[in-house]
Formats: sequence, structure tokens, C-alpha cells
Amino acid sequence: MSSQTSPQSTQMKKEDPDLKRFLEILNERTKDLNPKISIDKYGRAIYIEISNEKLHELAERLSKLGIDHVKSVTGVDYPSENKIELLIHAGSYLRTLRKYTVIIKSFLDRSSPKTRSLTDVWPSAEFQEREAWEMFGIYFEGHPDLRRLLLPEDFEGMWPMRKDFMIKTRRPGEVEGPWK
Amino acid sequence: MVYIGPLEIPGRLIYDFLHIFILPGFGAILVLVILIIWAERKIAGLVQLRYGPLHVSRRIGGALQLIADLIRYSLQEFIVPENVDKIAYLMAPALALLFAVIPIAFMPTAPGIAPPIYVEPNLLLILAVISLAPIFVIVTGVASDNKFAFIGSLREAFLMISYEIPFIISILSTAFIYGTLDLYKIVEAQSKAFLGVLLNPFAALVAYIAILRITGRFPFEISEAESELVMGPYTEYSGLMYGVAMGIGYIKLYVYSLLFSIVFLGGWLPISSTGNIVFDYILGNIILLTKASILMLIAVFLRSVYPRYRIDQAVRLGWSLILILSGAAVAWSLIIHLII
Amino acid sequence: MEVDRESSNDFLSNLSQELFMIRETGVREEGERLIELQIGPAHPGSGHMRILAWVDGDIVVRCDPDIGFVHRTIEKLSENRAYIKTIPLVERPSLLDTTPMTIGYVNAVEKLMGIEAPPRAKYLRTILAEITRIASHFYGIGILAIFLGHSTGFMWAFGDREVMIELATMLTGARITYAYVIPGGVRRDMPQNFPDQVEKGLRYIERRLKDWEKLFLNNPVVERRLRDIGVLKPVMARRLGITGPNLRASGVDYDVRMAEPYEAYDEIDFMIPVAEEGDAYARGLVRFKEIEQSISIIRQAIKKIPDGDIISPQISRLFNPLMKKIYAETRRVKFPSLLATLKPPKGEAMARVEAGRGEALFHIISDGSTNPYRFRFVTPSFRNVILFKYLIPGHRLADIPAIYGSIDYFPPEADR
Repeated sequence: MSSQTSPQSTQMKKEDPDLKRFLEILNERTKDLNPKISIDKYGRAIYIEISNEKLHELAERLSKLGIDHVKSVTGVDYPSENKIELLIHAGSYLRTLRKYTVIIKSFLDRSSPKTRSLTDVWPSAEFQEREAWEMFGIYFEGHPDLRRLLLPEDFEGMWPMRKDFMIKTRRPGEVEGPWK
Repeated sequence: MVYIGPLEIPGRLIYDFLHIFILPGFGAILVLVILIIWAERKIAGLVQLRYGPLHVSRRIGGALQLIADLIRYSLQEFIVPENVDKIAYLMAPALALLFAVIPIAFMPTAPGIAPPIYVEPNLLLILAVISLAPIFVIVTGVASDNKFAFIGSLREAFLMISYEIPFIISILSTAFIYGTLDLYKIVEAQSKAFLGVLLNPFAALVAYIAILRITGRFPFEISEAESELVMGPYTEYSGLMYGVAMGIGYIKLYVYSLLFSIVFLGGWLPISSTGNIVFDYILGNIILLTKASILMLIAVFLRSVYPRYRIDQAVRLGWSLILILSGAAVAWSLIIHLII
Repeated sequence: MEVDRESSNDFLSNLSQELFMIRETGVREEGERLIELQIGPAHPGSGHMRILAWVDGDIVVRCDPDIGFVHRTIEKLSENRAYIKTIPLVERPSLLDTTPMTIGYVNAVEKLMGIEAPPRAKYLRTILAEITRIASHFYGIGILAIFLGHSTGFMWAFGDREVMIELATMLTGARITYAYVIPGGVRRDMPQNFPDQVEKGLRYIERRLKDWEKLFLNNPVVERRLRDIGVLKPVMARRLGITGPNLRASGVDYDVRMAEPYEAYDEIDFMIPVAEEGDAYARGLVRFKEIEQSISIIRQAIKKIPDGDIISPQISRLFNPLMKKIYAETRRVKFPSLLATLKPPKGEAMARVEAGRGEALFHIISDGSTNPYRFRFVTPSFRNVILFKYLIPGHRLADIPAIYGSIDYFPPEADR
């Protein structure tokens, strides 16, 4: 850690009473789902690892606790372990919980990643899940409108953000596209 | 009341020629429209912290910019798209221009001289002819085979109905006060009493707002809204017709301003007939044109101030506030007429 | 042809149920009454996106934003580049407020590496971030003005924005994309006359804000076009995850600079302007008030800025003698090669910033090599796209530009 005194100390605030209280309530309410909860060393991000079947239930309980919106839904591709990790950042607009970001991780099977859509708990996930679908191939069951968002309509090929999608390098003189 | 009537031929012919082609006819239209468009762009530029037109004639501040534009439009290739209704496409802007310009022949613009075509109720005739011009604007949009032009025409149709009616009502309400439909006698009446603006301010207000809408000035620049429809009814025009289309709004503004100046601002007052025809003609016209130019400058300045209304807001405004005000104008006229 | 305001408000508050109903209506009646309009990318009123609007007469029944025209695959590109090289990449999407994006990314990298910028660097970053925030808000106001047809507002906004860009040029050397923030500090120190110039610039902007109020905010036509248009209720804003001035115009006073202070924000006093009505006018008004707050922040930062290094000692101890000499004489940082190919330890880090348009999120997963394993980057415009779908139905066709301009959506930022 830097030894200079700085406007914002980035050391973990062990004495943060709000965080302690929130973690207590969280542990209590979600004990039966068997999550793995940890905090990063800066005291602001709360990591929750959970298995995929219990994800929706966890989302409902978090939403009752005050985590009312989703900031990001995406995946991380681990081809060597044959898994895709579903990475969800959620937060709260409530004053006491604003400073924390809840990061939910859940592993999906890479050959056919499927999970239940969270749009009925968090409507803010709608466009985020569309992007995760077209980039990684994660199918969200129950999503009202799962279709392409950013990619062009005539895009063909495998899911772009997976690690085995190779960006083709163009050699000089080569022209791609319909105007060849 | 009798005024100095028609001169003998060929004096009459010379005067008619001058009236229609030089002053206040086409010559004045050309000069004034060029200056007004330049003034609009320059004023907008100065308000917006930029120069406006500057390059074409640097020393006079770019005033000849419009002549350069006109030359460019005349030399541009005039493309007629294939699936337009060719006769309507080619004739409609020309007819719109024609009906906008004809009323000048009916207007007396100098003391003691009759206009080329003089009838007793010339105010009524002018209003009737000038109301035909928007019909041809609508035709241009429908004749071009283009969705945006069509929407522009629809908007123009809606707005034409909602704003022409109050305009006609308010102008005719002044006839109650003056007791006549003859523009010459209206100016004489104003010289004896007060200016029309003071006699019936409601009518003047309604007429001016209606003029802003009819000629497409901000905040009513709805049928040619640029960020929604590309150019309104004139989308498919290029070349000289495009120049004509751009100019129609300003020519209408000129003619309506002349009418407004005569009815409400006293026309060629404060001078009256001196007996010297040349002197009367030149001085009377210049005074009248000055008043009209001031009105045009105000109308054109509003571009820098207001955004545009939504069409339903403009139509609603026309049918509610403006119509009510024109009713108030009629009521006021009746009261004044009973008093005076 | 009255717009039924009551029914549209009810519709908006009963979110999913009404949405299904409307979509069903669209399918059934399509071809009969509904017209599908494509306000495509080459339209003067659409920006780099396509808005599909299903229109019944003049009322929009359903609206679908078709985005992705400027998708530049920033996340994928960053996986093939060193950490330093992603800093200019992160600036490019949000071309108007570039500095908060770089601050966020660099904060995440610094958290991974466990280093921290010295106080002077934090203040410099804050000053630049607020300068770009003012520029970004002026851009948003200008676009709102031109969509309404107010060319004077457009010209004024870009002219005033120029003042801020000149100030940024004095500080960093570039007009819009600075790449000024690096892990460990900033690249240049501020010149000697910078505080005076900043004060001159800020006074000019304050004078101009008075003119703006007279011309734009109190303009009756502007009020007619913007009041009660696109009303976003606080409940709906929270459920949809809206961020930025759009959220603050609906009554929620959420701002990352206060919720999770970064850089020098916890030592500076400022307020968060909040409006209650949630209509388009409130969103424009909040942006003006935020400009005033940013002016106050910049003044405080310039007064309070401490002396010292602008680069963290953990980086400067990697300098070779030539770099040390340059740093001592001109206070400019040249990259040591170890910084250019830095290898953070394995782990994850997350950072949040408040950009001009709202909250941006940065999450880096590192596997110990020179390239990030995964870089997740969510911009505020991407979170606000959902407003097109839920806010526009029920309004007239001519309200689409007004609502679009008021939510200050910037397509390249959303597409990344």
C-alpha cells in the first residue's frame, strides 16, 4: 500500500458498520442457498459465488434486501475448464447500500450455457442479457425478447467474445466484403 | 372620395409597367428578398457568435451572397424524378409563386395613383388571391412521389386552414372601423384618425402572428422542419425550381408585409398627394417599403430565438387562442365603430 | 386527436403487463393501422442508430432502438493488448467526456496492482474530469436544442464547449482524447498560468449561463415542447436501472461521486442537483445545474491542489536517468518500459466512475499476463437505451427527437 496520506484511503475499511450489518443480513437470508461470499480488499465490492440453479432465488432475495438494479450482465469464457462464468454486477439506489456493488458469479456449462433470465426480478437486465446472449451464446430462459443487439443482422460465425473466436487479420492487398 | 384617377395612355402604361416590374413589383421583390435572406442569415450568425455570410462580397459583409446562390441554382442540373406527376410537379411551384405575386397589381402603394388593376373592394380581392397560393404548395408535396414531401404537404394543409381563417377575420374586422374595403380609402381613413395598429391592436396582433405562420417563419417553421422532414413539400426539387421554392416563403412574406403595412401602419403616410406624380410615386413607395422591411426584419429575427412548435401544438394554438383573439378583434371593431 | 396523458402514464407504470398487451396489439393490427417507421441511421434526427417506431396515426405505439452501428468491440480488442494500450481505446467510445472513462479504467488497474496515485495527481484528474463534464453537458444541450429546431442553442452550446476544450488543451496538449491518466498518476503537470486561465474560462461560462437561461430555459416554445414530455417516474427509473442526469431529474439523488468517492471528490464540497418532475425539461435543467456545480468543483480543486509528485513513487523508481531528468525539469512523465508491459498479479478489480452521462463500470480480470483476461466495460448510455423502449410509446412522432435529445443518448458510447 502507498504510504502517502491521500484524499481517499484505499485500505479496507474494517470498521465499516454498514458493510458488517449488510453482510450479516445477507448471510442470514441466503444461508440455505450455500453461497460463497467474500469482500475485496477495498471494502466496496461483495463477491457472491453461487451455483446456477439457485441464482434466480438468490436474485429474488437480494432484490428484497434492496439491491434493485443490475449494472452489467456478461460472461467470462474459460475454455480450458470448459465453463463460462456468468458475471453479474448489481447495485442499489438506496442511500445506505449505494456504495457497494454486488458481484454475482455463477458457472455455466460451456457446451450449452443456459440460465434463467433475471428480467422478472430486475427489469434493468433486459438489454444486458441480450448482449450476453449474442456475445457468448448464453441462453436466458424466459427473456421476453432475446435477439441481437449490437451485432449486424448478417453476422455469421460463432459467439464473438468466446476465446476461440479469432479476429481475422487482413493481409495487405486483401479486400473483404461485398464490394470485392 | 375621389382621387386622381387613371392617367391617359401612354402614361398609364408606363406607370403600370413600373408598378409591376420595378417598384413595388419584381424589381423590389428581387432586391428586398435578397437583402432579407442575407439579413436573416447575418442576424442569426451574429446572435450565434459567428460571422454569417462573409466571403462573397467581403466589403459589404457578404450581402451579395444570395446572388451567388441564385446563379448557382440556375446553373444546377434540374433533375425531374421519374415517378412524379410531371405537369403538377413543374407547374405547382410556378403557380404558387404567381398567386403570391399577383396581389401586388391590386395594391395602391403611392398617394394619388391608382394601381394597375383597380376595383373597389380590392382588399377582398387581394385576400382571395393570396389564399390560393398555399393550395399549390400542397400540390407540390403531393406531386413529388416522396413520403416526406407528402407529410410536409399534410402539415401545410392543416396549418393553412388553422391560420388563414383568423388572418382573414382579423383583416376584415378592420373594415368595420374604416367603413370601406378599398385600401386607398383605408389609408385615407388612417390619416384622419389613428393608425390601424392603435385602432384595433387585437387585429394587428392576430394578423402578424398569422403572417408568421403562413410564411413559415419560426416558431412555425413546421412544414419544412429540417431535422424531421428533409425539406417538406419541396424535398424533390433541385436546380432553379429549388431556388424558387426557397424564395416563395420570402416573397409571400413581402406581399403580406405590404398588406399589413397598408392596413395597419398607414401605408404611405405621413406624406399625402402633392400633385407631382413622380415625386409621389417614389416617395410613397419608399415609405411603404420601409415599413414592410421593418416587419420582415422582425419576422426574420425570430429564427434566432425560437425553436419550432410541434404541429398539433401549432394547430391547437391557431384554433384556440388565435381564433379567440380574432373574435375579440371583431368585437373591438364593432365597439369602436359604434363610438366613432 | 388528443394525446391521452392519463392512459399513457398508467401504461408506463404497469410495466411488463402493459408491454405484452401493446406488443400483441401491434402484431394483430399490423398492416391495418400501424405503420412501421424506420428513422434510420442516415436521418438528420437520429444519430448513429436506427429507431423503429410503430405509429398509429401520430401516436407511437411501440418503439425499438436498433443500436450497434458503431460497435467497435472494445472489450474484445483489449484482450489482445497490453494494459496501457487500452487507455486510448477506452476513451474513444464516449468521445465527449473521455476523462472519466480513463479514470475508471486506470482506477481498476491500480486496484489490481495495488498502487495509488499521489494527491496532486488525483486533483489534476478531478479538474480534467470536471472540465470534460462541462463540455459533455454542453454537447447534450446543443443536441437537444437542434432537435427542437433551435439553431441558436446549438451554435451557442458548441461555442461554449470550445472554451472548455481550449482549457483542456492547455493542460494536456490534446483537444478531446487526452490519454492523460496513467496508472500511478498523470502524464503532465499543469502550466504556470493555468489557474488564471481556468478562472477566466469559468467566468465566461457563468456569464453565458445567464444568457442561456434567458434564451433557452425561459423560452415559451421550448417549454411547450419539453414540459410533460417523456415523464420518467422515480419507481420506473429505479427498476430500469437508469443512470446519470436522467435519474437525477426524476428525483433520485444518486451520484457515484458521492456514493463511492474516487479521486479527490471526498475533499470537495458539492451538491447534486435533483429535479422532481422527470420530464424532458427537468432533464435539460439538471444538466445546466450540473454545469454550475462543476464550475464550483473546479474552483475548489484549483485552490486546494497540493504540491508534490504527479506520479506514484512505485512507478517513478522505475525511471532511467534520462526520464528522471525530464521529469525534474519539465514535469512530464515518460513511460518506463516496465510500465508499458506491466503484469499485474492475478485477480479481479472493479471501479466505478460518474461520467457526464451517468455511471460507468469497469471490471478487469487478470491472469498475470500482459493482456487482461477479460475487461468488462459498461457505459451509461448503454444502460439508458432501455428508455427508448419504455418512454417513447404514448407520445407523438414529433416528440421522438425531443425525448431523444433530452436523455442525451450517445450511440458510440452505448455500442462501445
